[in-house]
Amino acid sequence: MSITKKYWKGIDELKETPAFLKSKDQEFANPNSIEEFLADEKLGESSTERRDFLKFLGFSVAAATLAACEAPVIKAVPYVFKPENVTPGMPTWYASTYYDGISYSSILVKTREGRPIFIKGNKEHGFTKGGVNPQIIASILGLYDSGRLTGPKENGKDSEWGTIDGKIKGSLASAKSITLLTNTVISPSMTRAIEEYKVKFPGKFEHVQYDAISYSAIRKANLQNFGSSFIPSYDFSKAKVIISLDADFLGTWLMSNEYAIQYGQRRNPDGEWMSKHFQFESVMSLTGSNADYRAMTKPSELATVLSYLISKKGVNTGVASNLPAPIKAVADAAAAALASCGNQAVVVCGSNNLGLQLLTNKLNQLIGAYGSTIDKTNTLNLYQGDDEKINQLVSTVIAGKGPDVLIMSGVNPVYSLPNGQEFGAGLKKIKTTVSLSAYMDETASKATYVCPPHHYLEDWADYSAKQSEYAVAQPTIRPLHKTSSALETLLVWIGVTGRGGKDSKAAYDYITETYTGLGLSDFNFTVHNSCVEKPFVVATANEIVFKDAAINGLPKAANLEVILYQKSGIRSGEYANNPWLQELPDPITKVTWDNYITMNPKEMEDAGYATTYDQENGLNLATLTVNGKSVTLPVYPMPGQALKTVGVALGYGRGANGEKIGKSAFQTKEYGGHVTDENGNPKPIGANVFSMTKFENSTYNYTSAGSISAAEGKYIIAATQIHHTVMARHSIVRETTLGIYTHNDKEAYNPAHVLQKLDEHGNHVKVPVSEFDLWEEHPVEVVGHRWAMTIDLSSCIGCGSCLIACQSENNVPVVGKDEVRRGREMHWLRIDRYFSSDEEATIGTRKSEDIDYDNAEHPSLNPKVIHMPMMCHHCNHAPCETVCPVAATTHSNEGLNQMTYNRCIGTRYCANNCPYKVRRFNWFNYPSYKKFTEVNPAQDDLGRMVLNPDVTVRTRGVMEKCTFCVQRIQSVKLAAKVESRKVGDTDFATACSEACPTNAIIVGDWNNEASVVRKSSKDKRAYQALEEVSIKPNMWYKVKVRNEENKELATLQNTKSHH
Amino acid sequence: MRFKQPKNKMNLPSIYMKITNYQLIKYFSIVFICLAILGVGTSSSVFAQTGEELFNQRCTQCHQIHVDGTGPKLYEAQKRWTDAGEGELIIEWVQNNSALRASGKSKRANKIFTDWKGSVMNTFTDLSKDQVKSILTYVDSQKPGGDAKGKDGAAAVADGEEAKDKEEGSGWLWYILGTIFITVILSVSGVRRQLKIVTSESPQQERLTYFEEFREWCWKYRKYVGIVSLVLVLSVLVTLFKTLGNINVMEGYQPSQPIAFPHSVHAGINGIDCKYCHSSVTKSKSAGIPSVNVCMNCHKHISGAGKPYEAEVKKIYAAAGWDPGAKAYTNKTSPIVWNKVHVLPDHVYFNHSQHVVAGGLDCKQCHGDMTKMKEAVKVQSTAELNEVEGNLKLSKPTLTMGWCIECHGKYQINLGDGKNKYYEEIHARLKKEKGQKTYKRHLNDNKGVSVAELGGWECAKCHY
Repeated sequence: MSITKKYWKGIDELKETPAFLKSKDQEFANPNSIEEFLADEKLGESSTERRDFLKFLGFSVAAATLAACEAPVIKAVPYVFKPENVTPGMPTWYASTYYDGISYSSILVKTREGRPIFIKGNKEHGFTKGGVNPQIIASILGLYDSGRLTGPKENGKDSEWGTIDGKIKGSLASAKSITLLTNTVISPSMTRAIEEYKVKFPGKFEHVQYDAISYSAIRKANLQNFGSSFIPSYDFSKAKVIISLDADFLGTWLMSNEYAIQYGQRRNPDGEWMSKHFQFESVMSLTGSNADYRAMTKPSELATVLSYLISKKGVNTGVASNLPAPIKAVADAAAAALASCGNQAVVVCGSNNLGLQLLTNKLNQLIGAYGSTIDKTNTLNLYQGDDEKINQLVSTVIAGKGPDVLIMSGVNPVYSLPNGQEFGAGLKKIKTTVSLSAYMDETASKATYVCPPHHYLEDWADYSAKQSEYAVAQPTIRPLHKTSSALETLLVWIGVTGRGGKDSKAAYDYITETYTGLGLSDFNFTVHNSCVEKPFVVATANEIVFKDAAINGLPKAANLEVILYQKSGIRSGEYANNPWLQELPDPITKVTWDNYITMNPKEMEDAGYATTYDQENGLNLATLTVNGKSVTLPVYPMPGQALKTVGVALGYGRGANGEKIGKSAFQTKEYGGHVTDENGNPKPIGANVFSMTKFENSTYNYTSAGSISAAEGKYIIAATQIHHTVMARHSIVRETTLGIYTHNDKEAYNPAHVLQKLDEHGNHVKVPVSEFDLWEEHPVEVVGHRWAMTIDLSSCIGCGSCLIACQSENNVPVVGKDEVRRGREMHWLRIDRYFSSDEEATIGTRKSEDIDYDNAEHPSLNPKVIHMPMMCHHCNHAPCETVCPVAATTHSNEGLNQMTYNRCIGTRYCANNCPYKVRRFNWFNYPSYKKFTEVNPAQDDLGRMVLNPDVTVRTRGVMEKCTFCVQRIQSVKLAAKVESRKVGDTDFATACSEACPTNAIIVGDWNNEASVVRKSSKDKRAYQALEEVSIKPNMWYKVKVRNEENKELATLQNTKSHH
Repeated sequence: MRFKQPKNKMNLPSIYMKITNYQLIKYFSIVFICLAILGVGTSSSVFAQTGEELFNQRCTQCHQIHVDGTGPKLYEAQKRWTDAGEGELIIEWVQNNSALRASGKSKRANKIFTDWKGSVMNTFTDLSKDQVKSILTYVDSQKPGGDAKGKDGAAAVADGEEAKDKEEGSGWLWYILGTIFITVILSVSGVRRQLKIVTSESPQQERLTYFEEFREWCWKYRKYVGIVSLVLVLSVLVTLFKTLGNINVMEGYQPSQPIAFPHSVHAGINGIDCKYCHSSVTKSKSAGIPSVNVCMNCHKHISGAGKPYEAEVKKIYAAAGWDPGAKAYTNKTSPIVWNKVHVLPDHVYFNHSQHVVAGGLDCKQCHGDMTKMKEAVKVQSTAELNEVEGNLKLSKPTLTMGWCIECHGKYQINLGDGKNKYYEEIHARLKKEKGQKTYKRHLNDNKGVSVAELGGWECAKCHY
């Protein structure tokens, strides 16, 4: 056997660039060399002499000794009246609901001593079934953000609620026209309040809903096809065949956190059946990376794909259906799959083009998806923005004919409109503009009055995200600042209620009134669960009939098609100042803290752009021009990007005019402080490309024609993709296809590592690696607990929720772009993204002459992707433990690899010896060093409140790593002891396993024979990464199974099984 | 990794010894002074003394001497009953008031009942006639505005002034002996040297300095010198390490507190359970300082009016925003800022419920006998803790890691008694091991299973 599949993390690794080869065996990429340090001119300026140094040394030793001998006086302040359900030292959980205009989820909020510190999905209540995304988990940081407005403002100056309310009431009374511009309102109480405005100001009041990312085309298409403007409920768990056209339904499209859970249910090859997922897209999305089949499809080809599939169902749409060969191959496979799955299929399209949505509806109708995978009755209330209405309002405002009073809530149109700048100028022509924004953002800074609302964790709110559900958000902390509930603010202005201050009950009273009005009862119980089922009227019969509509205005082909996409971390930019999300590596590119132009590496080579980069050498800059607007950004090699297309992520370039939107939203200098532009304003991260969107054919479009030209200079980028390399070890990821998995034995797709030895008769026999051991067996196998984890690579979609949950639970510091660039990111958990392409020679064999390398497919053209979460494996024979000179890392009887920070002296031998490269060295004092003031939330008094009090904040000079959430292990054991019972199998969950929407991560007590993790680790798909090293980790992976036909893999794996 | 039990037999004058001796002297003198006062006092006060104890134990939860609380003030209660012509019935009233009311022979009994809006007084059938009388006598001996200072415990607040260390160790003896020894050696070698110079004719020898001679000598016996110096260096290092391990900064730490709270009165005389105030001790990692509303449960009625501790109770009222005159809350609260006494470093996770509920430890194991703690709370030294009855005896300084792991090494867990289902499961799993290696080890060492053997010495049990 001389051929194997090649897995690579980045172009550098694929090409084996000199820089990569040099760095691949180094755990710590290029530390500052002594020469570089000494060459620093500033060093010579210092006046410290040797004697002074010795004096300081002596003094500090003496001071430290004295300080250590005296116990510090620590104050303890008990409650005056202790709230009934707060026990100091114990967490209190509250059920609540998250909605920010983009994502919606039923959540649980963990509070300690009255401070919310952690958010997780509510698996027991609500239709989201515990599905969360990185934004939702990271939203906790926003509560303690020092950039938030602390009180109302008038013309940029601090004001009082009483004063402002009076003035606004006066403006409203005298206004001839009032417009309320909000994000989609799904709150029944807010809707009721808006109705009261309509009554109070008859004929003068208008409510316009605006979503930064518009899904208006879906509603319009349904209006044409079904006579009703709605977004249906999709159920991916019912779909045997999923066809997605540019829809990133696992990362950013509609209710992606709900869909990820449904999708995950059907990605298990051991289940009843496994879904087959086809993706036609241009920029490789999170969803595309998980697809069984992926075709690089330009936006202009999407209509052709749909038309082709429709024609296979025997219907001619009149749209051309001739496809290029690579796409046709995938489309044929999709058509074949559709033909055999009955109505258990779903087609989704991410484009906001009406024609494409009409075609999608048509195909769904032909499949019979309505009523099967698509529910038209229980529709989604999110994304009600009507692009035409918004565009009309924007035009009147720009023309200076806007309403007398414009109230804006939950929107930032100056940033997110294509003509935001002009709109901003237009706002100045309006008599009274009011913004209900929590930050002095692009829009708020142009408004007359800014009335900051509470953070959602401080506020009462109610939601109805779907027709069938009513949900409540309850406050989990008393308001930190002089902010006020948005609902109360609106009600005060029409005199329904008065200002109540910090302990106001106005919103609560109004919501309970709404609740009773809906015919629901037992509000407190609903608050306890956070939601309740709500009766709703099912759409009438005539609306269900499908009516064909004329299709036109489809995306046109161009020499260069530009796709403005969303990254699953930053999305539309609302959380641009959230350092956790900025530092979350993009699922595919693994880039942090930046946006960039994505381009296929093959085309980049042709155009002469650098496709590799490292910490010192950046990527080429290029200027992209779309619709007359230009941005200059680095060009990033994105394998799988459709040729003749480029992509740029939305949501960057926030605060371009120095708006105060939080300190983490801007570029930072090497030694702290913001990078400033010529006006002294801090420079934003990345560039805003919302200006490149275009209102066309009644909707806002996120794809258009453009041109690109090389620009001067290079730009250094901070990506984590080739950090912590695994040094040419090849048993890390394993994959197979469903066909091989079901028809072959384990040897084919998951062979055990064997070594030869002589048996007692002198014969050569093959025995598993585990039989060879330098060490005595560790007693963890049977005695007491043994905490273990399995990760199913088939289920893992690489969304990054686990990473953020880990960061939140374990006080993982944020290090900023400059440090990430140096490979010093602190994430305890990383998600390795492997591209896999054509074959390569197995190690130790020569390259076969049979393979024609020149004519082989370009490896980085459209590779397959595997996401692999990687954290400490808690090896029972851990290499790190044996090399620690001070026994700071030791093994516990429960199978945990323990890290004792106070013993650690920072030799870093352990990290060098770790085969998985999961140990992180604390280079700096992140909570106090000036370099991290802008990025690390733990640097201000407010930001510190988010820290988990049960986990140490590590200091400079120590190693840290995943602990398997040992604080949680200890607490579940304690609970069992106190309650005199066994530890239940579901008691223990790590932060990552809890956050995983697809249940890919399973943890538990391996010594409990009935445990799920035990069963999972004994599965035939289970394997241990680097098993051949024989370090006996307490962690298993499960082979990734794709539901595809793969001839190469079949040849490879079938041969294996026969020898 | 197993920690060796340190055999610290070296008589280093450790800090706690000093403190202990000093405190022993102090306690001895306090006891002596008390005895002296008692001896001087009249014999009648002995009667009142038991009355005082009984009053404090049984009555103070509802009654005060000079003001009305949950029940009426007790000062001159006897007189009021006598005035009503039912002087003898007061004994029956105290012992079993409901029976007295039911019997109908006392009008006053029913009057009090209706005056106090039907709130029922507890029965004290276990009190003898003499005991009730002693209480009443004691109560009447407390004249309003009297000067009964020093008898309530509360007054005995930390006397602050740290006296100078009076301990005279036996170290000086060693120093003198050492000096004599060195002098003897030096003079002997000097004499020897002089003799050598005299006996030797060689002028070469004469020029040798002391140092050169010493060096020569060292070189001659280099094997022994090498071994001895290695041993010396090692023993110095070991001693240093052990001494460092015994350094403690916490023992005897007794910060001043905003309120002179006597545990001896609350936990001792009144016998209030520790968990009544430190209620989260069974649930949470922190035992919790009681919130002011817990204090108010009792102190709403016990204002200490006229007592020396009245000022202290007033501080509680100020914190709770309680107006004792109007008997109402003013909602003007201000939390009490206590000084934390038992402080562990931030990198240590300690959980009270683990120790108190799962481990079944008594509070006194670590905090000492609080029923005797008249002053502000203090970190007790190991010696003091060892004196407490029922405590596991330890040797390392309190609140050091050595102290923690020493206890974890000694404290036994009964896995097999089936009382705790969690340990029962662990026990069952121990037996499952092939060859029962671990199980047999626990079984055969005749020591039972210590916390350490279940992982209590592992780093990540307390540090994460």
